[in-house]
Amino acid sequence: MLNDITLGQYYPVKSMVHSLDPRVKIVLLILALVTVFLPENMLLYIPIAAFILLTARLSNVPFKLLLKGIKPLRFILIFTVVLNVFFLPGETVWLEWEFIRITKEAVLTAIMFGIRLVLLVMFSSLLTLTTAPVALTDGLERLLSPLAKIRFPAHEMAMMMTIALRFIPTLLEEADKIMKAQSARGADFESGNLMARAKAMVPLLVPLFVSAFRRAGDLAMAMEARCYHGGKGRTRLHVLKMKRNDYLALLFMALLLAAVIVGNRFL
Amino acid sequence: MQITFRQVSHTYQPGSPFQSTALSNIDFTVESGEFLALIGHTGSGKSTLAQHINGLLKPTSGQVLIDGSDIHADGYSKKTLRQKVGMVFQYAEHQLFEETVEKDIAFGPKNLGLEEAEIAVRVQEAMEKVGLEYDEFKEKSPFELSGGQMRRVAIAGVLAMRPEVLILDEPAAGLDPMSREEMLQLIKALHEKGTTIVMISHSMDDVARFATRAIVLKKGAIAMDGTPAEIFRHADELEDMGLDVPVICKLARDMQKAGLPLEDGIYEEDKLYEALLHLWKGGAADAQ
Amino acid sequence: MPDTIFDVKNVSFAYEEAEENAVQDVSFSVPEGAFYAILGQNGSGKSTLAKLLNGLYLPTEGTVHVCGMDTADDKHTWDIRSSAGMVFQNPDNQIVATIVEDDVAFGLENIGVPAKEMPVRIEQALTDVGMLAFKERAPHTLSGGQKQRIAIAGILAMQPRAIIFDEATAMLDPQGRKEVFSAVERLNKEKNITVVWITHFMEEAARCQHVFIMENGKMVLEGAPKDIFSDPERLQKLRLDAPPVAGLAHRLRQSGMPLTDGILTVEEMVKEVSALCKSPSGK
Repeated sequence: MLNDITLGQYYPVKSMVHSLDPRVKIVLLILALVTVFLPENMLLYIPIAAFILLTARLSNVPFKLLLKGIKPLRFILIFTVVLNVFFLPGETVWLEWEFIRITKEAVLTAIMFGIRLVLLVMFSSLLTLTTAPVALTDGLERLLSPLAKIRFPAHEMAMMMTIALRFIPTLLEEADKIMKAQSARGADFESGNLMARAKAMVPLLVPLFVSAFRRAGDLAMAMEARCYHGGKGRTRLHVLKMKRNDYLALLFMALLLAAVIVGNRFL
Repeated sequence: MQITFRQVSHTYQPGSPFQSTALSNIDFTVESGEFLALIGHTGSGKSTLAQHINGLLKPTSGQVLIDGSDIHADGYSKKTLRQKVGMVFQYAEHQLFEETVEKDIAFGPKNLGLEEAEIAVRVQEAMEKVGLEYDEFKEKSPFELSGGQMRRVAIAGVLAMRPEVLILDEPAAGLDPMSREEMLQLIKALHEKGTTIVMISHSMDDVARFATRAIVLKKGAIAMDGTPAEIFRHADELEDMGLDVPVICKLARDMQKAGLPLEDGIYEEDKLYEALLHLWKGGAADAQ
Repeated sequence: MPDTIFDVKNVSFAYEEAEENAVQDVSFSVPEGAFYAILGQNGSGKSTLAKLLNGLYLPTEGTVHVCGMDTADDKHTWDIRSSAGMVFQNPDNQIVATIVEDDVAFGLENIGVPAKEMPVRIEQALTDVGMLAFKERAPHTLSGGQKQRIAIAGILAMQPRAIIFDEATAMLDPQGRKEVFSAVERLNKEKNITVVWITHFMEEAARCQHVFIMENGKMVLEGAPKDIFSDPERLQKLRLDAPPVAGLAHRLRQSGMPLTDGILTVEEMVKEVSALCKSPSGK
């Protein structure tokens, strides 16, 4: 019943993009997001779109998958675009009927907004499609580790995320089993109104929580037995080291950002 | 009541890259009063098969019939089916959720839409069957009981629906020897009182002691089907499949191979004991 | 004389808020290279005792020394746990990472092994438990027996002198049980790893060198498997079963068949019985 949920959207193939340092990829994403929000002229989206296409090509991820990320957002997308079209003020009137007033400026802004949203999602998908969740956690931990000085628990957060990733399949399997067991006792998870359905979840959620707590207790004990005592003095199996491609990728992104800033000036 | 599998196949996640065939062309009939053991390697399809009996899984092709009617036909009541065929999962204690033992056991009967009074009667009856004193346990939280007791509460929760057929997936897994034995005796008693039992088990010794019939599954297909005596006559084949055989069966076979004139397919301790004593006395008599 | 790995002296332990002691005045020692079993019912205190052996619990009374280090002295906590590793009952609840290799590395990372040294140790540990081929797999796709072997590899990589197994086979199918037990037997023989095997399976205890039986927190019986299992009635009193071979041998002996004491395995039984039953005159 629950086993068709696929986790994360990592697309496991080998590519230049996949093998980039996860830290670099996170920084690239942040820079990309800034770049997407900067352009004041529509033309500047051409190099950005070209950049995405090129990266997607290099990543060996089918373009279809990249577009798939936009699908769940289509309603928000349409909604915001329509809202912008109708309600943004502007001067050059294209259409006026009763209380509806559509202006050139509003349409352009709405389109720009739509493009930004789509690019935003595509850049983020590109990161999650080409980076395994564990690598992502690892990258985040190391990027945030300087913050340990101001007592930001970077290691603890990363550890929690890793454990969550490790246990999600286990708990899903368990949820499936409990659901079946309760169905066998005549429980009905599928019919009735919202209230009835919420109530029907109790026999699933209580055992699931009980089990999660039991697992947490066991795991804490096992980790202690394996000498876990926080991030202090810990070494790591995977050493992250920036390679030539990492520097090149950063350079390209910086160039793109610069181009957009310069473009804003002159267009 | 009669359960019939007609050419049942089951494929998980068909059409996806994770597609896997769990059952292929399963054909068998279980009659009322049988004690059927399902044997096989982990991944041989035992649990998948069991979950077809009460309609938790639907065959990809083929039919599951109960008393001749297809349980997935339109108009076949799932409620009746769940009532007739009870299912106890592995580590059944992990499904407990209510504040008290009594309420937890009442969950099934309540779902059947029974009257309060009837539910009360059934809860008490089910607790008696699994050997839990009603007055002592009804108000207790299931979570403060021992592992063996929790499992009994879970079984009582299924028995309270008064099923005619009881499916049990590894009912003794993880229990210590004494609780194990108590659990098996409980199942034996249910069988003797007329409940049809389908038990998934890894322990061949348990199969040898309790089952009236065993089906051996291998890679989703039936490899053997017969009485324990018939099955254990093929001890070597079972071992080739990576399955255990009862220790007594192994002893008898190896003694036979060592040249002792024992009859084929001994798997009960009493029988081997008698046979050996007889041989030894005969041998001793010869020597004189 | 081999070194003493575990030295337990008059240890008692009570859980917080519990009135009775879970472990009551237990003393024993385990020499290096030994393969000892601790047998008992659920609730007999055997798992509590296991956790006292590497300082996960500290004794309320008495002392536990591991390789000469007192578990109560927190200076030694990490040395003790890396010398005496522990494998738990539920295979799912002790694997931390999402990839086998990363999980084996977990303990090494905790004790600060340099990154350069790790791959060699991981490879060796996985080879020792026969799981090298699964190095890059996700743990949730493995069988119970395979997961337990990964857990063992995670400890082996830390190069311990002893491993405590706390009902490590209780949740496995017969196949997984065999896999794990024979892997451990091999480690004991080939790597001289001291093993404390806590279990309620008689067949497993019968294959250990020495057996301790616990009941109600106390050590009630100890000895070689031969001696312990040759008396089914005494075992019954302790709410334990004799392994089936021993049970049959005992019955035959009582009916007058002159079998030697302490038959535990199918092979021994077949050998003795066929010698007795074949007509001595050779017909």
